[in-house]
This record gives sequence, structure tokens and C-alpha cells, in this order.
Amino acid sequence: MIGGNSMTSPTTTIAPARAGRTGGSGLWKNIKRHKSVYLLASISLTYFVIFKYVPIWNAQIAFKDFMALDGVLGSPWVGLQNFKDFVNSYYFWELIRNTVMYSIGKMIFSIPAAIFLSVTLYECRIFFLRKSVQTLAYLPHFLSWVIMYAILLAILSPSNGIVNDVIKLFGGEPISFLTDAKAFPWIVILSDMWKEMGWSAIIFLAALMGIDPSLFEAATVEGASAWQRVRYITLPSIRPVIVMVFLLRLGTILDAGFNQIFMLYSLPVYSVADIIDTWIYRQGLLEFRFGLATAVGLFKGVFGLILIVVSNRLIRKHTDSGLY
Amino acid sequence: MKSSIRLTKSDKFFHFLVNTSLFVILAIFVIPIWSTITLSFRPNTFIGSALDGMLLAPWKWSTSAYEALLGHRAFLTSTFNSFRIFFQGVATALFLTVPLAYILSIKTLPGRKLLYGIVIIPYLFNVGLIPNYLLVAKLGLMDKLAAVYLPGAISVYNTLIMKSFFEGISEELKESARIDGASEITVLLKIILPLSKPILLTIGLYYGVHFWNDFFNAMLYLNDSALQPLPILLRNILLSSGMNEYVEVNAFGEAPIAAIKAASVLLAAIPMLIAYPFIQRYFVKGTMLGSVKG
Amino acid sequence: MKRTISIMMTLILAIVCIGSTFAQGAKPVTIEMWYGAAITEAGPPPDDWVVYKILREKYGIELKITAEPSNENDQDVKILAAAAANQLPDLFMVRRDPWQTLIKQGLVAPVNDMYPLMPNRAENHFNADSIAFSTIRGKSYGFAFPGSLQRNEGLVIRKDWLDKLGLKMPTTLDELYDVCYAFTFKDPDGNGKNDTYGYGAFVELFDQEQYLGRRFEPIMAAFGVAGTWNMTEKNFGLNAKKPEFFEALKFVNKMVENKVVDPDWPSLKKDDFRAAWKQGKFGVMREQMAALAAQANYAPFDKNFPNGEWAALPPPKGPKGLAATGIYDANYRIYAVSPKAIKAGKKEAIAKFLDWMASDEGYKLIGWGVEGVNYSIDANGDITDKNVPADTKFSSPKGQTVTQLRNMVFYNSALELGARYPYYTTANGRRIGPMPYLKTFQSYPWINVTGAGTIAPSPNNADLKRFINQGVQEFVLGKTALTKENFDAFVAQMDKLGAAAWEKAARAQMDENGYLK
Repeated sequence: MIGGNSMTSPTTTIAPARAGRTGGSGLWKNIKRHKSVYLLASISLTYFVIFKYVPIWNAQIAFKDFMALDGVLGSPWVGLQNFKDFVNSYYFWELIRNTVMYSIGKMIFSIPAAIFLSVTLYECRIFFLRKSVQTLAYLPHFLSWVIMYAILLAILSPSNGIVNDVIKLFGGEPISFLTDAKAFPWIVILSDMWKEMGWSAIIFLAALMGIDPSLFEAATVEGASAWQRVRYITLPSIRPVIVMVFLLRLGTILDAGFNQIFMLYSLPVYSVADIIDTWIYRQGLLEFRFGLATAVGLFKGVFGLILIVVSNRLIRKHTDSGLY
Repeated sequence: MKSSIRLTKSDKFFHFLVNTSLFVILAIFVIPIWSTITLSFRPNTFIGSALDGMLLAPWKWSTSAYEALLGHRAFLTSTFNSFRIFFQGVATALFLTVPLAYILSIKTLPGRKLLYGIVIIPYLFNVGLIPNYLLVAKLGLMDKLAAVYLPGAISVYNTLIMKSFFEGISEELKESARIDGASEITVLLKIILPLSKPILLTIGLYYGVHFWNDFFNAMLYLNDSALQPLPILLRNILLSSGMNEYVEVNAFGEAPIAAIKAASVLLAAIPMLIAYPFIQRYFVKGTMLGSVKG
Repeated sequence: MKRTISIMMTLILAIVCIGSTFAQGAKPVTIEMWYGAAITEAGPPPDDWVVYKILREKYGIELKITAEPSNENDQDVKILAAAAANQLPDLFMVRRDPWQTLIKQGLVAPVNDMYPLMPNRAENHFNADSIAFSTIRGKSYGFAFPGSLQRNEGLVIRKDWLDKLGLKMPTTLDELYDVCYAFTFKDPDGNGKNDTYGYGAFVELFDQEQYLGRRFEPIMAAFGVAGTWNMTEKNFGLNAKKPEFFEALKFVNKMVENKVVDPDWPSLKKDDFRAAWKQGKFGVMREQMAALAAQANYAPFDKNFPNGEWAALPPPKGPKGLAATGIYDANYRIYAVSPKAIKAGKKEAIAKFLDWMASDEGYKLIGWGVEGVNYSIDANGDITDKNVPADTKFSSPKGQTVTQLRNMVFYNSALELGARYPYYTTANGRRIGPMPYLKTFQSYPWINVTGAGTIAPSPNNADLKRFINQGVQEFVLGKTALTKENFDAFVAQMDKLGAAAWEKAARAQMDENGYLK
């Protein structure tokens, strides 16, 4: 947990005592005692039901051949046909492979990078350096992928990009990064990392800020080195946040970043760039096949749900934290 | 603060590594950002590679891109709309998210697991464009600014982060208040919130940036041009394509298109850039310290 | 007596009042229109636009307009999403592909009976060709507005580079290749740096210009495979399956491998491409006449290269002597009417609105603005932007906001062309303008593919298109070896994805309408 009490679990000492007091009609009494809580959250829950669950109800069009004039209820049922169309489409396996590749690649690179950045910032004692990195690192998050594309083109262009200028200087052949199937995935992963690293680090920094400083003082008194401090106090203190972030991203593993790919991809690299969402954009949206588009959305959801449940169980087994 | 004990060799090396890493990271961020800035000031007469562009002397810079954008009537209106969306959106989002995050953090709450499930499921099942559009249309939100932020006013991701934070607040504090007979609402308002400045600001910022940058909802739901926020204008600038057949006139005068694109993106990012340093001040270390000891 | 008079006065007054309210009769009809802005980023017309006033007072029409996004994909998304929720406005511009989908879904109304209500439009706008364009099985599902000038693009070449290297204008593909080679390796701009290329292009795909896209069409045409479809009676079919297509790909591949094409071409977008030629990156390209030579567009190039000169290049001949700049077909913009509008009884109001736009008053107001404020008439009777305040002339950013609907009234009249494409003087004293380029481009050979635009898309449209276009790119860029075997396998796979079936269906449709020559 974030905060100073990660080393002890006060709740375990308190909860049983309470439970003991309630006895048989415990559940009802419990609910009554918490009624102010329910009241508190009623507005939020109402919102939740309206804005999150009604669309899910609308999503039944995944099982229908959606006709706009007939609306959600009037359109005819087609069962699993939309799902079959998706799974049997020519590019299905390629889409899955690309999507998963980008999601996992981004997780593997971005999360550790954000953690690394937050810890180094936390540990840095040169004010100027810390401040300037902090300020600059979150700036790219505000740049849309349209301008990122322009920046990347300026850096990676085979005719007048900076990187290729350097390569040519060393006598090499210029590489067309954006249209090369081998280089493109790296460009996607690294540019995403560059863009989001600083922003993602914010949440880890907030967690680091919440660590009780007395822990560090105690460690220093006991002669712990900086490395040991980081290894045994800093990182474990933010482990729950890391786990949570990791699991949440895992749940959306089939969302690989539509805006980015859409701006950066081009025909020569479709085979490694086309992800589920870009395919859905062309096949589902532009062709007015909304039942298909919604079906794929549900497909992604089920997949993500299974992943989260399985991984949460695994992580729960080995540590005491998890998503729920 | 850490006590000033003499550093060991290994500690010195540690700090050397930390600082070097940060310098490298600094360079990695500075270069492309500088490239964008110089791009936004690039004059129409510039010829050369990107590298030359980054080394262009400041007195050769041209402000025509910025002049064109800032003098644009639509630019000022859309900035104003974006601010409205930002403030209304953040207020609404926090108002809805905080109670939800709080009740999820109460470990003894009956039905907690169920609640949790209710919250997680929509996170996974992003049902896509059409089901959401149908809902917004039915609720009569078309052509209202709320259509931009209301659908996203509770983000499950943000809620869970906030919940995590609330859980970390000392249980003893909460218990002592409950034992004193305080209702949960009182606990939330009098104890939790005052200690939650960092997280409220962080999550508020997360929401705010998301709403500020949204163009998709705005494009779908806002038809009245008086309501359109900045990202719509920018997207029209950045992605104008074959539709504009009347290529003989340039909507923005002398500045090269690339400069306009760069300038427009930087201008859109500025409000956030101004806000962040102020908020950073609040991430004060040891916020928790006072409450536990006292 | 006095009393009688006052009673009578009151009565008369009352009758007049009641009479006038009846005369103003109908409540104002609101027409909601989503339009394609002439220049989206310039912004919408001001709230006190004189057009709103006239429509309100003369016809009782309250006009509410919304500019569609400038990006075509965004337009489609906005329209299709609104369509799915049955929220389309009364009148809206829609591209061909989504339009055909909407027809199938019953979300656009037939408008055959509205044409007689628009006499102003009969001759120059909704003539027989226009109505034919929007008619499917006897019902016209929208208004086809005349689009931009046809055949207004062409190959151009840096004449100053040719002169510097002592070369002649190329007339065949092989000569073109040699010139491009020289442009790349012989430093034609004399700056001592190896930074120029021969041919410049980017991937610009249109419905009828798939595969490598519009910018490569002159080369494809030299092999007889320009455009998506071969529209001849004898040889109808997808050009990508023809043996000549293989030859064309080999030629482009040769150009790419030998680096005589700007290597950025696969990933550039249109603005980048235009920025590149203004910076002197390449010496041969296909460009649109106004994008090339209108004063605002030419100025940056002129500043960088005062002695630079782009000369029109007749399309080079291929191995069998074929040559053309590319394909063309009837080019219209469709505005459709939603069934909801018809049901709400807005038919007459919409027709009146459209008709007024094309009246003399409407034409000038919407096309250029107010005389004396946005434009003036010169001695020859031409419309010009001189003699009016600089910040409101119709070519200024402010002036452009009042002409956003001009796509809906222009029909490429002489008046329009004179106003839009004036001549001017370059840095080195030449007098140029877009018009001479236009005339020259239009005089070169073009391939007419009228009718191809109505071909119903294949059921597997998105995937098939991706497969073909991706495959073509991979061949040209050398990622897949361009051998006969690989090409045959490519064609076979195309058929498996539905190309053969599509050709059959398309053929039947074309025969039915008599489009093939």
C-alpha cells in the first residue's frame, strides 16, 4: 500500500475483533452500519450504471446484424456470425500476434522505464537536474501522435533524418525505419516509451513521496548502502502500485494503441503494424459493420478478463498484493 | 531529509550512476522537443535537413506560425471551450470518482467483492463506438459540452489508483474516528480528503489532460461550431487532406505547414505545462508523517 | 363621429396586424446542414453572416450549419456514427463509399421530385450528367454538385535543372529514367551536395486510383494499367491482375532500387510532399495546377529558388507507345437528404435554399462575399481581390470564413477561374499563373473511366484492398522479389480473397449500364 504502514497490517488486528461483536444477524447490521457509505456512493454508482452498463446492454448488437433504422432492439439476431467473421478473416492471426506483441513489448519496456525514472528522480540530489528532467519528461505526453509522426519523420527519414545522417557518416546504408518491417515494431515501442515514460512515472513518484522517511533514517543508521536502501525499502514500498499498474495494463492487452499505429503505419509495414483496432476501423467502422466492430470489442474484453483473473490469482499466490 | 553521513564509495558510485542516467534521459527528451520547438519557428524560406533546422539561429526564427494561430478567431473560441471542458470535467470526475474509490477502500464493507466486480467489468469490456454513441444521443447530450467529459467522468483505472491511495492512509486514523461515532461521510470529508491532496491533484490532472486532449467525443457529439474545443481545430489543421480543393489560398498565410502543425501542438500543450509545476509543489514528502505521529 | 372613426381605425389596425401575421404565415423552418468546408481550418462564417439574414427574412429558413472534419476518415466516422444512431442532419455531404452504404440502410431519401423546384440549378449544376451520377435504379439519392476541375493535374519537371545538365525533355519512359538518374546523381542544383532526387511522390490512394496511387499514374498509364479498373470492353478487369501491371511494377521497382525516387515516398503525407518540392528535393512530379502555381503556394518555392522553373511535361510513352497522365471520371460531390427531413416536410424549404444559392445574388454572396467588402469588379468585369480592405478580401483568412460554402455554388465558370487563378510575377520577373498549366494539362491524353465510380464494393473490400495495395508496395520496395512466380501467386491469392468474383459482378453491372467502350 502507499503510505507508511506497508510493513504492518493493522487491519488484521482490528477486523476480527469487530466481526466477533456482530454475531448472527451480522450481515444486516453490517450493512446498516455502512449505510452512510452506500449513500455516499449512490450518485457515483448511478452514473456507473448509466454510462458503463447501458452501453454494454447496447453492445448486444455484437450478436446482431445491426440496421440503423431498426435500432438496437429491432435488428435481427445472427448469433455468433460476427465473431466467426472476425476469427475466420484472412488476417486474424496476424492481428492477434501484432496486437499482443505491441502490448507486451510496451509493458516490458515502459513500466520498468517509468519505475527507473521515478526512482532515479527520487534519489537524485542535484536540484537542477531533477527539476529539468521531471519537467521535460512529461511534456511528450501532451504531444499528439500527429506531431510525433512529424518528429519521427524528421529524425528517421532515410533521406534527411538525423539518425540516418549519423549512419551515413559512419559509412552505412540509410535505413527507412518507418517502412521497414524489422525496424517498425521497435519504433512503435520505443516512441511510446519516450512519450509516456515521464507521465507514467508520476504515479510511481506519488507513491514514492508517500513512503515514511523514518524508514530510510532507520536504514541509514543501521549502515545500509544506497543500493540496499533502494532494494529493500524503496522498491518494495511501491510494489503494490507496480502490481496494480501491471495488472491493469494486462487486462487491456488487446488495446495496443490505435492512435499511434494509425498515424505511423503505412502499407509496406501492414504485416507487422496492423492491429485489431486498425483492422476494426477499416473493416467495421468504415464499412458500417457495427455489429462486427462491437463483437470484436467483446472478444477483447473476454480475453482481458481471463488474463486478469489468471494473473491476479498467480500474483496473489506469491505476494500479498493483487488487484482484488 | 536524509542525514548527512559521509558517503561510502558504493554510495558515491550509486549517485554517479543516478546522475549519469538522468543526464542521458535529459538528452533523450531535449532533442526531439527542441526539434519541435525549432520546427514551430521555422521560416518559409528554410531549406535543409532536420539537423540544420535544430541548429538554426534564433534571430532567423519566424513567429508567423504563432501569429497565424493566435490571431485566428476560431482559435480563441476553441481555447475557451477547452478550458470550460477542463474545469467542468475535472470537477465532475472528482466528484464522482472520490466516493467510489473511497467505498472500495473500506475493507469491512459488505458486498465489497461484488462492488469490485461491478467496477472492473466495464473496464475490460470497452464496447466501442456505437453503443456509446447511442447512449449519448438518447440522453440528449448531443451538442452539449458535457458530452465530451461525462462519458469518461469515471475512469476505472483512476478509481483504482485512488482506492489504493485511500487504503494506504493509516487505518488507525479511520478507526479512531469511527469509534467516535463518525459516519463514513464524515470520515471521508474530515480525515481522508485533507490528507489526499497529492492524489486528488494527480488524478485530477490525469482526468483534466484526458478531457483537454479529447477530440473524438468532440468530433462526434458537437456540431455547433461555437462549442468546438481546441483539439478539433488542431486536428483540422494537422490532417487537412484532399477535401480542400481550393489549394490556391492558404488559410494561414505565410508560415509553412510544418511550422503551423508544430506550433499548434505546442500551444495546445501550454496550459497543462503551466498547471503542472504548481501541482508538483503539493507532492510533499512526509504528508503522512504528521498524521501518524500526531 | 370621432368615436366611429377611432373604432374604424382600431379595426383597420387590427385587421392589418392580423393580416400581416398571416402573411408571414409559416413558422421558420430550420435546416440543419453538414457541409464540406472550402477550407476547414479557416473557421465557420460569423454569426451575423448576411446569408443567414436573407434566408430568414426572404424564405423563413433558419439555417444551421456544421463543418465536417477536414480529414476524410473523420468525415466518414462522424457520418456513419450519426447514421447508426439515426441522427443524421437534414442535408449533409457524404463521400461515395459511405453513401452507398447509407442507401442500402435506407438512411438517405430519394430526391427526384426536388429537381423541378430548383430552376437556377438546372443548367450548370444538376444537369443530366449530375442526375445520372446520383441515380441508382431510377432513384436519385442525393444531389451531385460539380466538383473541382477535371484533369487539372500533370507531370512537371524542373526546367532549370534540365538546362543546367544540358538535357532534353524526356519523351519516353526510358528517357524519363535517365533524366531522373541525372537529377539524383549529377547535382542539378549545383550546391555540391548529394541531396536531390529525380522523381518525387507519396502514396495517395483514391477509390479509382489504388495500388501505387495517383502520383505514379503517369508511369502506370505508359503501360496501359492506370487506375483501379481497366474500363475497356475487351479487357475489363482489375488492373492489378494484368500482365502489363507486372511490367509496370518492374519499372517502378527499378527506379526505387536505383534510388532515383525520393526514398521518403512510402511514408510521406500530402503536406510533407508539398513541403519537399518547395525545398527543391526532387525534379519530376505529378502535381495539381493550383497547388503548384497559385501565388500563395508558389511563393515559398520562388523565394528559395528565384530561378527555379517547373515546365509541364507531356506524359512519357511506354514500351508499346501508350501515354497518359492518368484517369479521370465524372467528379461530383454528393449532398444527401435524410428521410427524417422529408418526413418533417422540409422538402420545399431545402429546395428553395439550394435554388437561392445558385441565383445571381446567392452565387456572388456565397462564392466571394459582399462587393466592396470582400471583392471588387475590375475594368474587364472580372472579380478580383484588389481594391478592397486587405483583411476582408476574399483571399484573406477572415474573408475565407464567408466563402466556406462556395463548393456548393461553383461550377468552374469563366468568372470563377478568372477570380481564383490570377496571374502574378515571380522573383525573376516571369508572369505566371495556374491557368496556363491548367490548359496544358487538360490538353494531354487522359483515360476516361466514367462509370467505374458506381461499381459496388466487394464484400471483402477492406481486406482485399489491403492485400493488393500492401503486396504492390512490397514488390516495388523489393521486400518481395519481383519474379513472375511471385506475381502469379499474388494474383492467385487475390482471386481467393474475392477479386475474381468481384470482377464478374462489376462486369455485369457495367454492362447493364453500358459504361464499357
